[in-house]
Amino acid sequence: MSISDIKKALGSSLCKTVGVYLIMSVICIAITLIYAIFAHGIRSDAMDFMLLYPLLGGALAYSLMGSICPQLVSRRFYRMGYNLYNAGIAVLTAGAMLQGIVEIAGSDSELILCFSTCGIALILIGIVAFIRR
Amino acid sequence: MASFFSKPYRWAGFFSAMLAIAFTCVLLDTFVIPKPQVQVKAIVPSVDNTASPDTIKKAPMATASSDPIVTNLSYEDSNIKIQIEIDREHDTTFYVADIQISDASHLKTALAENTFGRNINEKTSSMAKDNNAILAINGDYCGFRNTGFVLRNGVLYRDTGNNEALVIDVEGNFSLIDESSQNGSDLTNASVWQVLSFGPTLVSDGQIAVDMNEEISGKSMTSNPRTAIGQVGPLHYIMIVSDGRTSESNGLSLYQLAAQFSVRGCTIAYNLDGGGSSTMVFNGNVINKPTTNGNIKEREVSDIVYIGY
Repeated sequence: MSISDIKKALGSSLCKTVGVYLIMSVICIAITLIYAIFAHGIRSDAMDFMLLYPLLGGALAYSLMGSICPQLVSRRFYRMGYNLYNAGIAVLTAGAMLQGIVEIAGSDSELILCFSTCGIALILIGIVAFIRR
Repeated sequence: MASFFSKPYRWAGFFSAMLAIAFTCVLLDTFVIPKPQVQVKAIVPSVDNTASPDTIKKAPMATASSDPIVTNLSYEDSNIKIQIEIDREHDTTFYVADIQISDASHLKTALAENTFGRNINEKTSSMAKDNNAILAINGDYCGFRNTGFVLRNGVLYRDTGNNEALVIDVEGNFSLIDESSQNGSDLTNASVWQVLSFGPTLVSDGQIAVDMNEEISGKSMTSNPRTAIGQVGPLHYIMIVSDGRTSESNGLSLYQLAAQFSVRGCTIAYNLDGGGSSTMVFNGNVINKPTTNGNIKEREVSDIVYIGY
């Protein structure tokens, strides 16, 4: 396989990732709208804005990576960084959904803070893995 | 392990499963798993020297000097007078209880399963029956949250919060406090009988205290089933429960609810937990139509406010 073939494959992989995150953003919007119907019109900021995690943290971030520093994808720890970063986005999105569910119900939970903490930690470790040579 | 996760989708599958488990655990912890904290102490007459130390001694309460006169919508004896009217406005049926009592000790609260804690729930009608309540409404659902002052029948259970709470003192007079600037011990020293924490305040100093678009969470639908309590004068109260979320009853907005207290002369009125929790029980019967997920069905709640002996 030539270098250009490898570059094409990695670029295609990034495009696929961006596409998946865009689909996830649409799913988040759908969840928000459907939940609002069952919640008698009650809404929560956390649930309304949870789509921003996959949209900005996922689709936008990988798009920027592909256009500004595509060489990252060929680094040794890219796969690890990719897995951890994506896990962090997933955890933050899940945490936002939980926060929304709890707020709409009129309740509270101290455990949701764990989601934010873990999500941020995973993202930071993922970024370190991305940029590590 | 690194080689295990190097295969496509293994990490995604594993992590998704872990995340789903964590998500489910938080939901169970928040809404399902009962976490009892304090058992309510039984109240015994102060003259009872055989009672265990784990009880609260109080002077015996005055009982009715004659048999009560009871109808479907009214109750009257020498200490308690209740008149219920069923009204309809704004395409909504609501139930107004006008209450006059001889002593503030007849205005009581009860906790589900006589236990303060998280996710300890019981139907309003069941708690009313257990406590021989003449009239009962759902309370502030204190067991659904970790914050908000909880002081019931003179006993303090929780003193953290940042809400405006309703205080009922031992004389039966209502007032409001800011939980964020109030010390719980001040309440136990200050002859406080009940503290309810939900809100908002509907009527204050005789004036409607909510605007026409106000809602509890800022992004809620404005018409809902409601429960609220107000004071007209010394030992004279109004309790209102409205139906809602059905084809028969839309529900009331906070402003519409406040207006009902205002026209009946309440100087102070306070909103309690509404929605599917809104329930009024009179003489053992649920007289409104509590709604849960579109069905007429009583929801289990954590506490009630009731009139009784």
